[in-house]
Amino acid sequence: MTRQHQSWFRHSLAASGWVYLALGYGLLMLPILTLVIFSFETSRFPTLPWTGWTWDWYRQLLSDGKLLQALRASLLVSPLAAGIATILGFFAAYALNRFEFPGKKVLTILLIVPILVPPLILGVAFLGLLSRINLQGHLHSILLCHVVILIPTAIALITLRLMQMPKAIEQAAWNLGATEWQALWRVVLPWSIPGIAGAFLLAFTFSFDEFVIAWFVSGFEPTLPVSIYNFLGSNLSPALNAVGTIVFLMSVLLLIGVELLLLPMLLAQPTKSEP
Amino acid sequence: MQIPFTRPQASWTPDRASRLKYLCLVPVVLYDSIFFLLPLVFLIWIGFWSVENYRAVPGFSIANYSDIFGQFFSRSRYAYAIAQSVWVSATTTLLGLLLCYPFALGLVFLVPARLQRFALVLAIAPFWTSYILRLYAWQTVINTNGLLNTVLLRLGWIDVPLQIIFTQMGTRIGLLHYLAPIMILILYLVLRNIDQTLLRASENLGATLWQSFWRVLVPLSKPGLVYCAVFGSIISLGDVLSGIVLGGGTGKSLLGSFPLFSTVILNEYAASTNLPRTSALATLLIAMMVMILVLGLQFAAVDE
Repeated sequence: MTRQHQSWFRHSLAASGWVYLALGYGLLMLPILTLVIFSFETSRFPTLPWTGWTWDWYRQLLSDGKLLQALRASLLVSPLAAGIATILGFFAAYALNRFEFPGKKVLTILLIVPILVPPLILGVAFLGLLSRINLQGHLHSILLCHVVILIPTAIALITLRLMQMPKAIEQAAWNLGATEWQALWRVVLPWSIPGIAGAFLLAFTFSFDEFVIAWFVSGFEPTLPVSIYNFLGSNLSPALNAVGTIVFLMSVLLLIGVELLLLPMLLAQPTKSEP
Repeated sequence: MQIPFTRPQASWTPDRASRLKYLCLVPVVLYDSIFFLLPLVFLIWIGFWSVENYRAVPGFSIANYSDIFGQFFSRSRYAYAIAQSVWVSATTTLLGLLLCYPFALGLVFLVPARLQRFALVLAIAPFWTSYILRLYAWQTVINTNGLLNTVLLRLGWIDVPLQIIFTQMGTRIGLLHYLAPIMILILYLVLRNIDQTLLRASENLGATLWQSFWRVLVPLSKPGLVYCAVFGSIISLGDVLSGIVLGGGTGKSLLGSFPLFSTVILNEYAASTNLPRTSALATLLIAMMVMILVLGLQFAAVDE
């Protein structure tokens, strides 16, 4: 192949690559755009042609109350679950990152494995246990179960951040006379803040979106996904699009957090530190 | 000028004597033991219980399992559901890899470096919105009288509406939309960390673009591909929502109109609230997952 051919080939490859990227982004965004746009459409059935703009579905959402109540339940459970998981995860990540001890590998696997077990299995399992001790059917049942699946994400992200911390700064604190607690509290914790915040955001998203476990253990206090699921079964309504738009606005806020906290951490190379 | 050393040790580590590790690890270990290990043990145990007068009664009987295996090919036809699950999750994972790998390549090699972070945020954005709402939105798109069919009919490309919703193709679309952001992120991170000088070296040594791609780039991105494959199959085997919302419960595929195994588990519990039997079914699902995980890890280990 001549050089000219080759550069022509490269250009067309790049061009088709751009087309592919554009198509991919289009498909990734399509459902979200559909949700937002059709939450303002007059017609009951979201189809083309466009019939007109309306705020009715938002009004209906506010008056119906069921979905809003579920949204409130979710906004209570998810931050709490994410908070507890992040606190537990921070201490676990710190210990796993700093200490060597027998059985560390097994322990790490035990702590990470809940994220690999499908929520469907966990949902049945949680229900089995909780119904024996009469804890099923409430918001706090969901809270207890969600913490389990959120701990691994918290540990993973905070470990990532801790691995980027030069070991020397903690050692310096010890050498200057800080106790271990003081070093943990005043050196390691401030360093980990981006990891902790990122972990909280990711954990919150997982919990807020989690359906199966909540379906099994929630009873009459459904979270938002469960309530939406029940809604889907009964009557298809653009009020769902209205909920979707509200949730979408929330996730835009979350995404800004992700862009500021999570990605810089994922894209950074771990610093080499002395053993 | 001389700086006096306050402590002679170069790096003093209190690791040996430290009790801190117990303080840090005990809460999380306790929590996971009570709310993770215990429920799993319970799940397997409850699978051997029986139901009398709508109440689960502790005991040890293999009635649940013998009943399930008795209905493997008749009535509930669990074997068909398991086959459907394996088929749909395998094809979905393969499709996901085929679609996301070129996308990640495009991100790494076409998008200018300073825009890549923004491009990545856009690509993983769908992951941060509600899954069930995205499925609902896909319903509006692929419905028989939905957006896609309306547009295609208007354009005159088709005469009869495409039946995508309530087939396993619908299930796959929903699953792919869930998997794509994560697969793209994993593949992007792997591709970005590949030493680009290796690609230039292969080019300088006379390899064609295809050869550099197939014999340098793909082997180097294999860990990422394996992660994505294991992750994709586990998620799609365990997912219930897409199979119900877009697959309509018993969606049609090449194999026929059978529900996914996960759908069967959920619906059986919803209909009967027979926890021992549901636990037995879930235990079967665990066995399937473990098999996939072991196979995947072995596949990954061969390359290392």
